[in-house]
Amino acid sequence: MSQESTPIKLLWSAGLVLAFLLPVLCGYDKYILHTGISIAFNIALATSMWLIWTLGFISFAHAGFMGIGAYTTALLFTKLGLSLWIGMWLGAAAAALIALMISVPLMRTRAVYFFMASWAIGEVIKRVFAYYRDFFGGWNGIFNVLPPKLELPGLSIDFASRVAYYYLALVFCSLIVLAIYRINRSRTGTIYWSIHESELLAQHIGINVLKHKVVAFTVACMFAGLTGALYAHYHTYINPKTFDIWQSEFSLVHIIVGGLNTVGGPVMGATILTIVDELLRPTGYYRVIFFGVVVIMVVLFLPGGLETIPERIRRLAARVRNN
Amino acid sequence: MAFDEFTQMTLTGINLGLMYALIAIGLTLIFGVMRIIQYAHGELFMLGAYVLYYWFAVLGWPYWLGVIASAVVIFCLGAVLQLLLFRPLQGRNILYPLAVSMGLIFIISSGGLLVFGSVVKGIPSDISGGTMVFGAFYTYERMTISAVSAALIVGLWIFLQKTTIGMAMRAVSEDPEVSSLQGINTSRIHWIAFGLGSALAAVAGCMMGTLLSIVPTMGFVATMKAFMIVIMGGLGSVPGALIGAMILGFIDSFGTTLISADVAYIMGFLAIFIILVFRPAGLFGQQWE
Repeated sequence: MSQESTPIKLLWSAGLVLAFLLPVLCGYDKYILHTGISIAFNIALATSMWLIWTLGFISFAHAGFMGIGAYTTALLFTKLGLSLWIGMWLGAAAAALIALMISVPLMRTRAVYFFMASWAIGEVIKRVFAYYRDFFGGWNGIFNVLPPKLELPGLSIDFASRVAYYYLALVFCSLIVLAIYRINRSRTGTIYWSIHESELLAQHIGINVLKHKVVAFTVACMFAGLTGALYAHYHTYINPKTFDIWQSEFSLVHIIVGGLNTVGGPVMGATILTIVDELLRPTGYYRVIFFGVVVIMVVLFLPGGLETIPERIRRLAARVRNN
Repeated sequence: MAFDEFTQMTLTGINLGLMYALIAIGLTLIFGVMRIIQYAHGELFMLGAYVLYYWFAVLGWPYWLGVIASAVVIFCLGAVLQLLLFRPLQGRNILYPLAVSMGLIFIISSGGLLVFGSVVKGIPSDISGGTMVFGAFYTYERMTISAVSAALIVGLWIFLQKTTIGMAMRAVSEDPEVSSLQGINTSRIHWIAFGLGSALAAVAGCMMGTLLSIVPTMGFVATMKAFMIVIMGGLGSVPGALIGAMILGFIDSFGTTLISADVAYIMGFLAIFIILVFRPAGLFGQQWE
């Protein structure tokens, strides 16, 4: 919430420049680009989940809404032949619409009940995809959701290439992070944090808590739907398992490890944990165990997450100086 | 629908409901006393089943002693987890204990796959035969399981109403500050409640493990059922958990027999949704902050 200092702005710019130069730096290595794309998806999911958290609650239906976006665009592509350029927006719109419909009854529940109810909704969304076999392809999912081509006068890009898709994912991920950053820094963001602090107080000073909750939830789910659409066209294959509770759990882990107070937290958490996750991939089950250990350690010994490390170092340095 | 078919479904519903209740009451007890969501509850349920598997199916020791052993082992494990991981987080945002229990899920379920392997295992039952109840066949095994579950639930109820520790538990769940001012050792009540809730899940795991089969990944389904039940009944409420478990048991039994397992599953969630729309804190719940 505080005014960003120059070093943090520099850090953001450096990160963005590094991300844009990554394909050149890694020599167009396919695996590293794949990791980069995964990081972009994870950042988009984690930051949009964090947007809901700024109002003080955690939604476990998040992966489900990512699934709605992915399935919408996949069905539009396989049944009607509409490319990602159209499917993406319709996917985001579908996720937003369903989120809007569900959120009104959902927002009657609070705190723990909200968490559990959203968890149930995520599970239902997944099951609906699995149950209607003829329409959604059941547990087998949908195949051949091909990446699009961009044909402009004098310019033709085939997004089947990893480098092209990397930039596509990076652009959208950056836009989502920027949008969430702007929301958080605006007056609306301040209202969100005031609801986070005390819903009752916010209500008494004339804030329409329900409206803000519904809007924030819808916007966050729209971003998740958009991410889902990009995910579907990148992997070219989706099934209900991808949009499991696990996906929401991982996003929550990214937020908690990264930090809960600024948008930098989820970005940092998603980036670092995805890289570590890829490095540990060959170790099989140990990778998941490591994940669990990291979460517990961070919660117990580094409350506030990675984003509080600079502040901790500063405080430590001050203490050393004073002695 | 024939009458005997109806009785069969009712009996299955009661049977399932009682087993679900054992898992859900543990979860609701932990929430009621400590205000934390034990997301890894199903993983302790799974470990409980594996203790019985090694005791009875591998080592061949007596079955019922194995159930008790499983309850004791998981009680200790739960108490240790509470003291090591959850106690430092007492009083902080609900998200932190939730994150810790999520970490536990990752560790226990993947560790389980490493240690126990991913092959499905069964615990052979030493009770055979059955009898006709109102035109429906009811095995002695299921009957025993129902009886044990019902006895445990009644036992827990008496424990909470009559014993000093039980009353202290209820006091802590009503108001932790006032009860600690009254001289109740809150942290002792916390680990006892955590252990007790976990032990109930372990016994349920033993029962389910005998009836069905066991795999390291079975914990998730148990957590899910327990969650569904406590949302329906209201967090922290023991009668709520019992009624929620019965509702879910009947939905599962009737839905699966009459339509299909998937539809029963979606129906369960619809029931939750409808209940939450009219009672946002569940049937018997309070609105926790």
